[in-house]
Amino acid sequence: MKRLFSYQNMLDHSSVLSGKERSIVSLSQRFYFVTVMLATAFMVGSVADPALAGEPVLQEEESDVIRLPPVTSHRILVQDVVGEHAKDGRVYVVDADAGKLLGMVQAAYNANVVQDPGGKAFYVAETVWSRGNRGDRADLLPAYDPQTLTITNDEVLPGRALITPKKNDLSISNDGKNIYVFSMVPTSAVYVVESISHKVAQTVDVPGCSLTYPWGNSGFTSICADGGLVNVSLSGNHATAEHTTPFFDPEKDAVFEHSPTRRPDGRTWFISYSGLVYPASLSANTKIEAAWSLQEAAGMKRAPAAEAPFVKTWRPGGWQLSALHYASGHLFVLMHMGTFWTHKQAGTEVWELEVDTHRLLRRIRLPHPSTMVGVTQDARPLMFTTDKAGAFCIWDATTGKFLRQIPHLGEDLYFTVALGE
Amino acid sequence: MSQSDRFDLMGQRAAVRPVRAVSGLLDHMVEYLTRQMASHSSRRSFAGRAGAWLTFGSLIPTLPVSRAFAASPAIQARGKPKPPTPFASQAQTTDPTACNYWRYCAIDGYLCASCGGGVHSCPPGTSPSPTSWIGTCFNPADGHSYLVAYRDCCGQDACSQPPCLGMEGDQPSYRPQANNDIIWCFGTGALIYNCSTSVIVGNAT
Repeated sequence: MKRLFSYQNMLDHSSVLSGKERSIVSLSQRFYFVTVMLATAFMVGSVADPALAGEPVLQEEESDVIRLPPVTSHRILVQDVVGEHAKDGRVYVVDADAGKLLGMVQAAYNANVVQDPGGKAFYVAETVWSRGNRGDRADLLPAYDPQTLTITNDEVLPGRALITPKKNDLSISNDGKNIYVFSMVPTSAVYVVESISHKVAQTVDVPGCSLTYPWGNSGFTSICADGGLVNVSLSGNHATAEHTTPFFDPEKDAVFEHSPTRRPDGRTWFISYSGLVYPASLSANTKIEAAWSLQEAAGMKRAPAAEAPFVKTWRPGGWQLSALHYASGHLFVLMHMGTFWTHKQAGTEVWELEVDTHRLLRRIRLPHPSTMVGVTQDARPLMFTTDKAGAFCIWDATTGKFLRQIPHLGEDLYFTVALGE
Repeated sequence: MSQSDRFDLMGQRAAVRPVRAVSGLLDHMVEYLTRQMASHSSRRSFAGRAGAWLTFGSLIPTLPVSRAFAASPAIQARGKPKPPTPFASQAQTTDPTACNYWRYCAIDGYLCASCGGGVHSCPPGTSPSPTSWIGTCFNPADGHSYLVAYRDCCGQDACSQPPCLGMEGDQPSYRPQANNDIIWCFGTGALIYNCSTSVIVGNAT
């Protein structure tokens, strides 16, 4: 208070000074007064707040980078193709237990991603041009360290197929030593890349066929335009191809590209547009078994195909429209009510079926339609869906109960990759 | 050959005679009219009039009146085929910036008509691909189905107007000629997709 009187006193005496002098004195006095008042207030406040009383003074910091722990069953890679500006695709690394984003890597222009079965690395097949949208094209297969998310090898590929991503355009052998890259440059072929040497070991032509469904450590199967398969066995630098007889009509009831394969034994369930499931044990001599119907498993009539396109019933559809829990043999399929030719429509339900008995176990209603369903491979599996807004929804796959979500993980979530897939 | 076929053949033979009698009468009438016309007109004026009828007569079917009649509900009700697919049953023929425009039955992506181009035109700054996938779409205006080539326009990133997804006849990528997911920018330099056109390349009816 004394200081305040003194300050007022000084102001009173300032009248003897000239105008300019008076203003300089006045300013310095005001500054002095404000400083003293702020310091007093700070001291009083500090003493009054017991919570801050014991806080140490903040120390200088060093910038650093987070290093993730080793991959677990519930750490998921989620691919976002970002359709509205596809050159900016990315792969998110998500902790599904916490519903938390851990990091991300670029996955440029209709990329594909695959993970080493043991979680030692993951690989992104991507395409860039030297000047953004023009210039020299480079098809790349960077290998990522899953704990630092840094590139350990940035291999240049001879080419790759440019297509709205199909999961099976990039796959990996059961031992993680061979990576299969499907290419259409200039013809249908598969590049076999050794993950240890990062070299293309050989190029296997698969005329009239596409995609790669891996089996064992040195073989894959592709689907062909005639409705059959070609089984490719690799031995050293040689490949042997054997065709099966056609088992479906691609024009009337094609099988989905995103049909699930159980990697350890190559067992695959090819799901058709109408909802038929063709079990097949992929090998050098693939055998295709009699088809069963998703709708019949649910006690409904078998759905017609292109011959009766107006018939509205429950049908499979979406993008990553199915997922398999290897150990239990439970198949999760996105289903929607629609006519034929609605095979990319988002599912409003997930049907959980048992592949051995062809039984429907559960119908899970989704709050929002999803084009993606994924599942983890552990004993307490999680299930994943998405929605139009790019949410990443996490479910308990054992109970079918919704757990949590990341409301807007990205733009267009197409695929999940879980450890062991 | 069935019993009824034989009866028909026999019936034709029995009818030969009366036809000959009628044709004789026609011969006389035509001869008379021809002689009358020849005696009252010059060869040049006949050729001119006949030519004029031939020329303008051939244009009659192209007149708006004729085309409007062909598209009338009466004609449609009489014999036009029903829409063969769910998309066709909901399709319209007037707004190429809407997803249910009849040609878009198998399109996937951004409509060039909404991106600065047109139904069969690329926007400026892009390049049309010489390659494409093919769909078969039903035109409700004329009741015909057409082969439609979906040619992508390339060189700029996605145009990002509201996308459309037609699925009729869309087959997986192992049937590339009918797959709408492939980046159909082969032969355009950088294979970067901007939008899709839909070009009629033939009649599929």
